[in-house]
Amino acid sequence: MGPWAALVSSLLMPANRDVALVHRHALGGAYVRLTFRHTEVAQQARAGQFVMIKAGTSAEPPLRRPFSILSTDPKEETFSLFLKAIGQGSRALFDMQPGDVAQCLGPLGRPFTPPADGREALLVAGGYGIAPFRIFSQELVRQGARAHVFYGGRTSDDLPMRDAFADLGVPVTLTTDDGSAGTPGRVTGPVETCLESIGGRAVLYACGPDAMLHAVAGIAERLGVPAQLSLDPWMGCGIGTCLGCVVKIQHEDEAKPKNRCACTEGPVFDFAEIVWKGEESSYARRRSMAVNP
Amino acid sequence: MTRLAVTLAGLSLKNPLIAASGTFGYGVEYEGILDLSTLGGLVSKGLYMEPRDGCPTPRIAETPSGLLNAIGLQGVGVRAFVRDVLPRLARYDTAVLVNVCGDTVDEYAEVTRVLDGAPGVAGVEINISCPNVKKGGMAFGGDPKMTHDVISAVRAATKLPVIPKLSPNVADITVFARAAEEAGADALSCINTLLGLAVDVETRRPKLAFGTGGLSGPAIRPVAVRMTWQASRAVKIPIIGIGGISSASDVLEFMIAGARAVQIGTANFVDPGVYDRVLTDLHAYLERHGIADINALVGTLQFPETAPAPKAAGGQG
Repeated sequence: MGPWAALVSSLLMPANRDVALVHRHALGGAYVRLTFRHTEVAQQARAGQFVMIKAGTSAEPPLRRPFSILSTDPKEETFSLFLKAIGQGSRALFDMQPGDVAQCLGPLGRPFTPPADGREALLVAGGYGIAPFRIFSQELVRQGARAHVFYGGRTSDDLPMRDAFADLGVPVTLTTDDGSAGTPGRVTGPVETCLESIGGRAVLYACGPDAMLHAVAGIAERLGVPAQLSLDPWMGCGIGTCLGCVVKIQHEDEAKPKNRCACTEGPVFDFAEIVWKGEESSYARRRSMAVNP
Repeated sequence: MTRLAVTLAGLSLKNPLIAASGTFGYGVEYEGILDLSTLGGLVSKGLYMEPRDGCPTPRIAETPSGLLNAIGLQGVGVRAFVRDVLPRLARYDTAVLVNVCGDTVDEYAEVTRVLDGAPGVAGVEINISCPNVKKGGMAFGGDPKMTHDVISAVRAATKLPVIPKLSPNVADITVFARAAEEAGADALSCINTLLGLAVDVETRRPKLAFGTGGLSGPAIRPVAVRMTWQASRAVKIPIIGIGGISSASDVLEFMIAGARAVQIGTANFVDPGVYDRVLTDLHAYLERHGIADINALVGTLQFPETAPAPKAAGGQG
C-alpha cells in the first residue's frame, strides 16, 4: 500500500457541521464539559479520535482546534468534550452558552486499539490529557477488559475528572506535583509500581504533555510493555492537507524516519515508532537493527 | 450555474473558485467531506521529481487573521501523484491543476514533462514563490531573469496551460508579471504568501522551526487585491487572484480589481464548507445587482483618477 492509499484509508468519514451547544457543565476553574449535537460523531466516534472545532464563525482566532472526544451518546446524537480554557480558541469554546453554534468536523484520526490478549489497560493521563479516557474506559468495560486510570495534575484543582470513572468501576490513581491530592510526584511513578506488581502484563495508553509521554515511552521500552500514545501537536486542518502537525515516525523496516500527519496517521501512535526529540531513530528501528544489523 | 462560468488560459471552469496549492492536499483528502465537483478547479500541493520531507516542526503558527507557515513543500513526488492520485480525481468534474516545483530550471521542466502526458491534468501552476525552501522557490520568483528562464523552460516542455504563481515579496510585481508573460505564461496566480516572522517572547526564538514563514489568510487580502490590480493592468494574460479569500465579497473584490478567477487557500482549513457558502452568496450578489454573467465584473474597479496609482510596494512617506 502506497502512502496515498494508506493515508486515504486511514480516514473514516468525517462530517463538517454547524453544531449547537446542548449542555454546558462547569467543572471549576478553567475546566468545562461541553455537549454538542452531531450525528456522525455521536454514532461513529471511537476512543482516541478527535474533532476540529471552533466557537462561532468569527474571524478570530482563524483556525479550528483539535479536541479529543470525551464521550458520545448515539441515541441523543450528542458528543461531549472536556477542555481547559488556555488560549483564544479554547477560551471561546469555554465561553459558549447552550444554543450557541460551533463549526465542527469529525470524527477524525486513528483511535486507540484495545488490548488483544487479556492484558490490563493502564490509562495514563496528564492534566487535560484525561479527555479520551472516559470513552475508552467505556469501550474497555463493554469488552470485558480490565482498565486502570492514572491521573496526574499540578494541583488538586487540576483533576476535575477524578470522579468520572466511578460509575464504570474503573479505579483511578491520582497524583499531584504539589501533593495536594493523591500521591505526590509524577504520574509515571505509580504506573511503574503497578506494572511491576502485575508482571508487565498490561498495555499502556497515554495522553498528556510531551515530557510525560516521553517518560511513558521510556518505561514501556525498559519493561517491554506495549504503549499507545496520543500526541497533540499544533494542527491546522485535521485531515492531512496543511501538513502542520507532522511527527517523525519510523517503522522498524524503514531506513529513515518519515514526517507523518498526527491528524490522519495518529493522533495515537505506537511509542516505539516515534522518533523522540534529540534522537536519530525510533526504538522499533533500533531494536530491529540490533537483531538484523 | 452558467452565470458563474469563467474561461482562462484555455480552461473552462464552471465557476471561478479554485482550491489553492498547499491548502487542499492532493484533493482526495476532501473526498467524503465535500463534493469536489463543486469546485471550478483545484491546485495540488507542490510537487518535485522526488518525495520531500519538508521543514522540521513547529511548522505553523496562528497570527492575527492569519496563518504563518513553513511546511517546506513536503510532498509525495510527481510520479506518485500521477500514479496514485490522478486516477482518483478523474471521477470529479473539476479542473485539476498541478503545482510544479524545482531546485533547478531543469527540474521544473522535468516535472512538467511528466505531467504533460498524464491524463486528467488541466494545467500546471509554476511555484516560483515558496518562501520556505533554501533553493528554488522564491529565489526564482524574486529575480525577473530567473522567472523568465524557468517559465521559458516549462513553456518549452508542455502545451498545457502554464500559470506561474508570483511572489508578493518583491518591490514591483508588474516587472515579474511581464517577465512571465514574455516567457509564454498563459495566466498568472497572484499571490503566494508574504514572508513573515513570529517570535516566542518566552524563549526569544522564532515560533517556527524554519525561522521565517509565509503569511496567508485574511490578514494579507488587501495586499493581494492591490497586487492583483497592478498585475492585471500590466499584462494581457488573465490573473487568478489569491490571498485571504473566505467569502463571496472577498471573491468579488479580486474580480472587480481584475482577477478572472480566484483561489481559496487558508479558508479550506477554517471551513471545508466554504465553497458551497461562497457560491450561494455569489449567485445572490449577481441576482441583487441584475448581472447575468460574473465575467462582466472583471476589472471594473473605478479607481479614483486623482489618486496616484502606485507602481512599487513598500515606498516611504
